[in-house]
Amino acid sequence: MISRRTLLRGAGVGALVVAVPVPALAAEGLVPNVFVRLDAAGKITATVPKPDAGQGVRTVVALLVAEELAVDADDVRLEQAHGDAERFGPQGVANSTSVRQLTTPIRTAAATARCLLVTAAAGRWGVPVAECVAKDGFVSHPRRGRLPYRALVRAAAALDPATVPVELTPPERWRLLGKTRGGRVDARDVVTGRTRYGIDARPAGGLVAVVARPPWIGAVPDVVDDTATRALPGVIDVLPLTAPAEGQGGVAVIAHSTHQALRGRDALKVTWRGGTPTADSRAWLADLRAALPAQSPISGVQQVFSLPLLAHAPMEPMNATADVRSDGVTIWAPIQDPGSLRTTLARQLGLPATSVRVEPTASGGAFGRRIEPDPVLEAIACSRRAGAPVQVLWTRADDMRHDSYRPMSVHRLTAELGPDGVPIRRAHEVATWPLTVLPIFSNPALIKASGDHFPYAVPGEVTVAVRPAPLRTGFWRSVYAGQFVYAEENFLSHLGKQRGLDQVALRRTLLPADSRLRKVLDTVADRARWTSPPPRGTTRGVACLEEYGSAIAVIAVADPSTRRVLRVHAAVDVGVALHPSGVRAQVEGCVLDALSTVLGAQITVRDGHVAESSFGDYRWARITHTPDIDVTIVPSTAPLGGLGELAYPPAAAAIASAIAGDTPVTSMPFGADVG
Amino acid sequence: MARYSLRVNGERREVEVDGDTPLLWVLRDELGLTGVKYGCGVGLCGACTSHVDGAAARPCVRTAADSARARITTIEGLSRDGDHPVQRAWRELDVAQCGYCQPGQVMAAAALLARDPDPDDAAIEEALRDNVCRCGSYPRIRAAVRRASRIMREER
Repeated sequence: MISRRTLLRGAGVGALVVAVPVPALAAEGLVPNVFVRLDAAGKITATVPKPDAGQGVRTVVALLVAEELAVDADDVRLEQAHGDAERFGPQGVANSTSVRQLTTPIRTAAATARCLLVTAAAGRWGVPVAECVAKDGFVSHPRRGRLPYRALVRAAAALDPATVPVELTPPERWRLLGKTRGGRVDARDVVTGRTRYGIDARPAGGLVAVVARPPWIGAVPDVVDDTATRALPGVIDVLPLTAPAEGQGGVAVIAHSTHQALRGRDALKVTWRGGTPTADSRAWLADLRAALPAQSPISGVQQVFSLPLLAHAPMEPMNATADVRSDGVTIWAPIQDPGSLRTTLARQLGLPATSVRVEPTASGGAFGRRIEPDPVLEAIACSRRAGAPVQVLWTRADDMRHDSYRPMSVHRLTAELGPDGVPIRRAHEVATWPLTVLPIFSNPALIKASGDHFPYAVPGEVTVAVRPAPLRTGFWRSVYAGQFVYAEENFLSHLGKQRGLDQVALRRTLLPADSRLRKVLDTVADRARWTSPPPRGTTRGVACLEEYGSAIAVIAVADPSTRRVLRVHAAVDVGVALHPSGVRAQVEGCVLDALSTVLGAQITVRDGHVAESSFGDYRWARITHTPDIDVTIVPSTAPLGGLGELAYPPAAAAIASAIAGDTPVTSMPFGADVG
Repeated sequence: MARYSLRVNGERREVEVDGDTPLLWVLRDELGLTGVKYGCGVGLCGACTSHVDGAAARPCVRTAADSARARITTIEGLSRDGDHPVQRAWRELDVAQCGYCQPGQVMAAAALLARDPDPDDAAIEEALRDNVCRCGSYPRIRAAVRRASRIMREER
């Protein structure tokens, strides 16, 4: 299992990867490192170490390489790296680290190739390297003319990279990075349906499996009658799966086609035993309320917040394809960490890592769910049994009912107010569950570290009580910050509303004058014309967050009478915005997640199972709910920050505060019965 | 099992499947048209949206038997080289994040513009309200439909 700590540590290690230059035979082209190579024709290929789940990793890699090699992004062919963390460095897409971890290694890799080409040209001409420049796929010199890269590949490959100093292109000379033009590199494939997701990986001779899953939490198959299933055309085999070694457990039906597998599953007669057939999320919420840590001694205004279970529900349901042979295993799957998955599988299967090939496909959304290997383990068990490649496909209901959910949580917040109504002391007690997918996340200190990012100058304590999780829980965009910040910012808004304080001014006074947060708050207030009264019938909500090395402030404008969110303004400081359209896209995505979870999406459990099964009852936002979203990227001298999860917590808080008007917010979704 | 002759993307295609097989799985499993995406299987998410006799339809809730006389267009058949005005607008405005729902969104938008070349926001929302995007690309989808409408007008 992947550890987020390992990922974080990896951030510093990644840069070493390019420090192992491997000059290749000239005939093969120029291969100065594992990330960038030029073939004999001068064609540039970059290896993308991390999978792309829609956050734009592939686009950023193409831009970094194109910038340093002085070509257009279209001139860079991309190859997706298979799982091999020793070779490629950290490969996990998690904790908003992708661009932060990749930028230096990839830039250095591409700049190394450029410097070798320039040095080779200077050598050919007998001129100083400093007089030569790379541009548009050529190295040129004011008097000697220019040579295309392809004419220099052989000479560059013969150089010892250790003798060639590598200079990165300074940001003031960037032509592509940080510029507004240019979209994602795979856009044409996406709009023509050519992008290959996990669900599209079907090797020749491949079979399909679907799994009959426990009808209530924790149930295991008792008696399996597969007579009717086996009699159906196309059904090849029926296979009980045992958790956790073979995924979440159940009974797999393997068939030639998807429809045959689904019909085979319908025809199964399974009785189940064990588990918790009467589990109910309303009782779980009551348990968490009762488990809140002892109340802090401060007295003043108090609110209690209840937050629900949430499912990831990526558009591409869970799936994985495995081909188990006598000499090894190949996996094709939409996953968030191919390197860690390969290590985990090798250990679990008792195979050398070299016998495990993990090929990450494009992934139809992830949001934290695809860090987990359970669909892959199911596919391996099925392929081993069938002696052929097998794709395990989860239906939408499987995906929604057997997810690793964001934990429920209860938050009690108390503030002692000064004479002006501004809080002077605070307390925040939390009761929640651990993340069952990563045992270290049962430690209250780690939960607090993930969730607590209170940025304002109000001293106080945050105390966390952890109750055993009654179902699988996992990483969900922003992890515990999604819960803690929602409670804290809505509580601060409540204090301000009660005393009629200006919400921006209240936060401004509690932030240091020269802070990144105050700058983004001022910027967003300006964009939203905060000092002018809001349009009649509308109210506004504000929230801030500094996390992942970045800072953001959000203002939402809504009509409380209809609960319609009209506009959301965000100002973000990500240090360096390498791909501004991608930066905006991540903020927009977080705003829609916020809108969805504040307006109605929640997971509930009745009679032992998750009640919701699809987009009809898990009420995710539609285009009809979509506000105008205005994202301002604030110029910054800070180092490159992370972004994928940054905007969700403050957007949820600002939206709730806006649609609530004068009604106190005490739950997510706003105004809903939680659980 | 029975044989069906389908008209898909301008070609006659023969398949041998059970008559109750959803058209979605016929297109994906039998004909290799994997641009048609599975998202829910019950007509709630729009990921498989394609054209049946020129109108947006959900192959996951039609059977092979229902479709024998229909004219079916999938994302693979929308344009020869990916340059339908909707596809161009989608690229110009950098709509996609994960991209999984986008073939369905593009097909829904193309069907809308074929019957209403100049839709207002209400018409855009009505046509696309049942196409779920889990990444939250809706603001760009809305803008891209308007942009596609403009491209079509300019080139008319």
